[in-house]
Amino acid sequence: MTGQGSPGRTTVRVGSAAGRADAGGAESCSSGESARRPSCPLPTPGAASGGCAYDGSAITLVPVADVAHLVHGPIGCVGNSWETRGSLSSGPTLYRRAFTTAMGEHDVIFGGEARLREAVLDVGRRFRPAAVFVYLTCVPALIGDDVEAICRDAAAELGIPVVPVLAAGFAGTKNAGNRLGGAALLTHVIGTAEPSYTTAYDVNLIGEYNIAGELWQIQPLLDRLGIRVLSRISGDARYAELTWAHRAKASMVVCSRALLSLAADLQSQYGVPWFEGSFYGVRATSEALRGFAQVLGDPELADRTEAVVAEQEARVAARLTPYRQRLAGVRAVLYTGGVKSWSMVAALQDTGVEVVATGTTKSSPDDVTRIRGLLGADAQLIEEGNPRDLLRIVRESGATLLAAGGRNRYTAMKGRVAFLDVNQERHQAYAGYDGVVALAAEIDRILSSPVFDRVRRPPPWAAGTPSRTLDNPRVPLGLEG
Amino acid sequence: MSEATAGRADSGNLDLRGDALRVLDHNELFGLQEYVQQHAAKRELEAAPSDEEVEATLAWSRGWEYRELNFAREAVVVNPLKACQPLGAVLAALGFAGTLPYVHGSQGCVAYFRSHLSRHFKEPVPAVSSSMTEDAAVFGGQANLIEGVENARALYHPDMIAISTTCMAEVIGDDVGMFVGSAEQAGALPVGFLAPYANTPSFVGSHLTGYDSMLYAILSLLTKDASPDAVVDPAAGSRPRINVLPGFDPYVGNVREISRLLDQLGVDVTVLGDHSDTLDSPADGDYKLYPGGTPLAAVTAAPGAVASLPLQAFSTRRSRQLIRDTWGQPVLDVAPPIGIRNTDAMLMAVAEATGTEIPVEVTAERGRVIDAITDSHPYVHGKRVAVAGDPDLVLGLLSFLLELGAEPTHILCTPGDADFEAAAYELLHASPYGAHATIWTGKDAWHLRSLVLTEPVDLIIGPSYLKGIAREADVPLVRFGFPVFDRHHLHRYPIIGYAGALNLLTWIVNTILDELDRKAPDYGLDIVR
Ligand code: SF4
Ligand code: SF4
Repeated sequence: MTGQGSPGRTTVRVGSAAGRADAGGAESCSSGESARRPSCPLPTPGAASGGCAYDGSAITLVPVADVAHLVHGPIGCVGNSWETRGSLSSGPTLYRRAFTTAMGEHDVIFGGEARLREAVLDVGRRFRPAAVFVYLTCVPALIGDDVEAICRDAAAELGIPVVPVLAAGFAGTKNAGNRLGGAALLTHVIGTAEPSYTTAYDVNLIGEYNIAGELWQIQPLLDRLGIRVLSRISGDARYAELTWAHRAKASMVVCSRALLSLAADLQSQYGVPWFEGSFYGVRATSEALRGFAQVLGDPELADRTEAVVAEQEARVAARLTPYRQRLAGVRAVLYTGGVKSWSMVAALQDTGVEVVATGTTKSSPDDVTRIRGLLGADAQLIEEGNPRDLLRIVRESGATLLAAGGRNRYTAMKGRVAFLDVNQERHQAYAGYDGVVALAAEIDRILSSPVFDRVRRPPPWAAGTPSRTLDNPRVPLGLEG
Repeated sequence: MSEATAGRADSGNLDLRGDALRVLDHNELFGLQEYVQQHAAKRELEAAPSDEEVEATLAWSRGWEYRELNFAREAVVVNPLKACQPLGAVLAALGFAGTLPYVHGSQGCVAYFRSHLSRHFKEPVPAVSSSMTEDAAVFGGQANLIEGVENARALYHPDMIAISTTCMAEVIGDDVGMFVGSAEQAGALPVGFLAPYANTPSFVGSHLTGYDSMLYAILSLLTKDASPDAVVDPAAGSRPRINVLPGFDPYVGNVREISRLLDQLGVDVTVLGDHSDTLDSPADGDYKLYPGGTPLAAVTAAPGAVASLPLQAFSTRRSRQLIRDTWGQPVLDVAPPIGIRNTDAMLMAVAEATGTEIPVEVTAERGRVIDAITDSHPYVHGKRVAVAGDPDLVLGLLSFLLELGAEPTHILCTPGDADFEAAAYELLHASPYGAHATIWTGKDAWHLRSLVLTEPVDLIIGPSYLKGIAREADVPLVRFGFPVFDRHHLHRYPIIGYAGALNLLTWIVNTILDELDRKAPDYGLDIVR
């Protein structure tokens, strides 16, 4: 096993030969077609909550660039969300078009199947995509449109794959949708074609969405090691590469809890071993590279990896030094809803920032153990990420930085806290060795802004009035999303 | 390290000694050779046609033949320019003090509404849902609604919960009115708790319909004792009062501007509803859940005003009817006060209804804006413009463009209906500058692409979603309407009144001048424009 080193290290977890199909208690829901399991946490009515299962499936699959992504539902499901996903493509831009059947009253009463059929055929003929992915939403699911049958027929007629993605919003949370998106790939896409050639160093990257180009940032490192990314699931992916993911020699799940099940299924069905890792931070990147060597079981690759790691770590340490000096003593609170909590903790630590608390809302017991390893036993874990608690924790811990997703940005600003976006709306790539430097530079830039000094001071005519920053008892619960 | 470094806020920027430390800008980073090669290598996975074939197809897709095919499209919408009903309902609810927008349905829709509104207004947006799941789909959403309002009250302490519905709740036929009654019986809501509700199915209508339905629900609930026979004594207060209905207004500056303008006439204003402070609150260290909104008592008193002035017509249809028929109050049905003549007409209507006069200060302000127009007109006159957006904003903008001598060429209004078409037609055909315009309703951004590529324009005015089209057509985009995600603070300015006309003029003419400079040969790069 890799990386069972000191507690301070970001460890890489390797899937055992027996597979981790259950993925332990780690997973809140299993990988079946239905996301509904007794253990699957359901959202609380009346409390603000995040996106739906359809949203999750779109996050997982929309990055496939040469596919037409058609949302079957009323106008809003895609009308309120298109062009906001942050996954970049080096080639086709088709995935950025928002296609929807925009169901009307007539379709709701008489069924949306006819309209869907025509829409798939129109999109297939008009844009000649590599495939059409059809996303189910709540309304057609409720009225019982047979999306699978329509996809089958349309595929026959068009001569291209038409993939049903059955993750209606009410099926569960965004995480459940990530998983259902992965399940759609496994059922309909993976294993339907063979790569023209294979190498002993073919790997899958699962759950890496090329946000702000992070996948591109990692790829040169893998190239240097001679590791070939056979399938990207799904950042900057093309449809073809998904079809042969089963031929990889290893999969890496890139800090995506929800897609562990896809990796596990690839192992149980096709014998592809996998490990979980992250490319955020110096230590994590090194561990991830070592993870490939470990899982591929190649001592020569392991040697090459050590050489590259040593060289890169030395290079990046030099670049980081001035930032680490400047960032020493800076305290940060991280809140990502938990999915990326441990990986971002490690990355922030590598920049010299002290992480004083982190969110664990969606973290598994494994994640929590890992976080404790990184932060020490008395780290503050934020289980309920509402703005009141977040801002209170920021105040009590003396943090000057809140690192969180975009929807917390304006909350942070009202609380006069410097804000670092670590989710999909950012425009900086933080992965790999150079990504850490970019992260350090961005934090330094944010903290150096004179704006926060201005915003924290009362107007001069009110001098002496103590600032009431972060101290409002009426701050609401749970509105962070 | 100096003392300044310790006080981080004053420490300034890091001196990047030499290239080794330089962090490349995101736009430059992936232009590096290694990334360019990496991207090129991906082409083998794409079964990509030759560059020539791609070019040829692209060229064809920009032509008339494809335009015809594109407009024959029926079952599929590509790049929609329309939001859905409950999003409008959420915005309406945010216009009232202490009001929590509550959407009855599954959770995903409301998560989208919150980010959508947040990205435009750059503010946190509170809104919750019933979080309906498969159980609710089978058994109905009553249990979710009861639990939801109870939780929402406990967590967020609202004075009013404004309930709208998603498509899901509408499809399974949930009776929200009955559920609210059940919630009272179950003790989840105190008897008489203010819980207006509106049915907002998005498979009909748009965010404008949803806005109107929620406004209507709130106004009817809060003024249920109003009667058309109530006598209004205009001399009652020291100053006459009118109600202003902003409608689905993406500009928080508008409400402040209309209040300022009418104050100069000596008219007091009650805004129904005022989301300007809710979605533009000061950074004072307090995070308030309900930082603004019209006080509910002011709404209850609204039927006593002299008249109501809607700034939008299409997002206030039912509400205007309520005011006219149930309150018995005159409604000043003027064109959206965008541009000079529309503002003139609005002010005269208000002056007449309230028995006030337009003061010299306002006349002087008007004169200054007209002066500005005369300064800028040479650059705007004759410019062909494509306009896309919601009906009232588009109608107001068209009126102003015609005043400037610009030539509206393609008018695209996805939520527009026959009334919009008639109004736009009348407006355009009354002016020589509008004679060539074509009006499109129900069409999407992909249609607009065909329009501007087959019949080119000098300028596109509309939401951020059009930036790709603008780039492809190589014309500038003036961000306008909703949503604007990618330019800052435009929504904080007014676009109505004389001040608003000046803002619009400034954005339009300076965009044209930027473009002029960008394309100018060296000898034409004049310093004076
Ligand atoms: S289901 Fe209806 S309410 Fe929900 S986002 Fe889609 S269109 Fe809007
Ligand atoms: S919850 Fe359902 S209706 Fe709402 S956005 Fe998600 S899929 Fe669409």
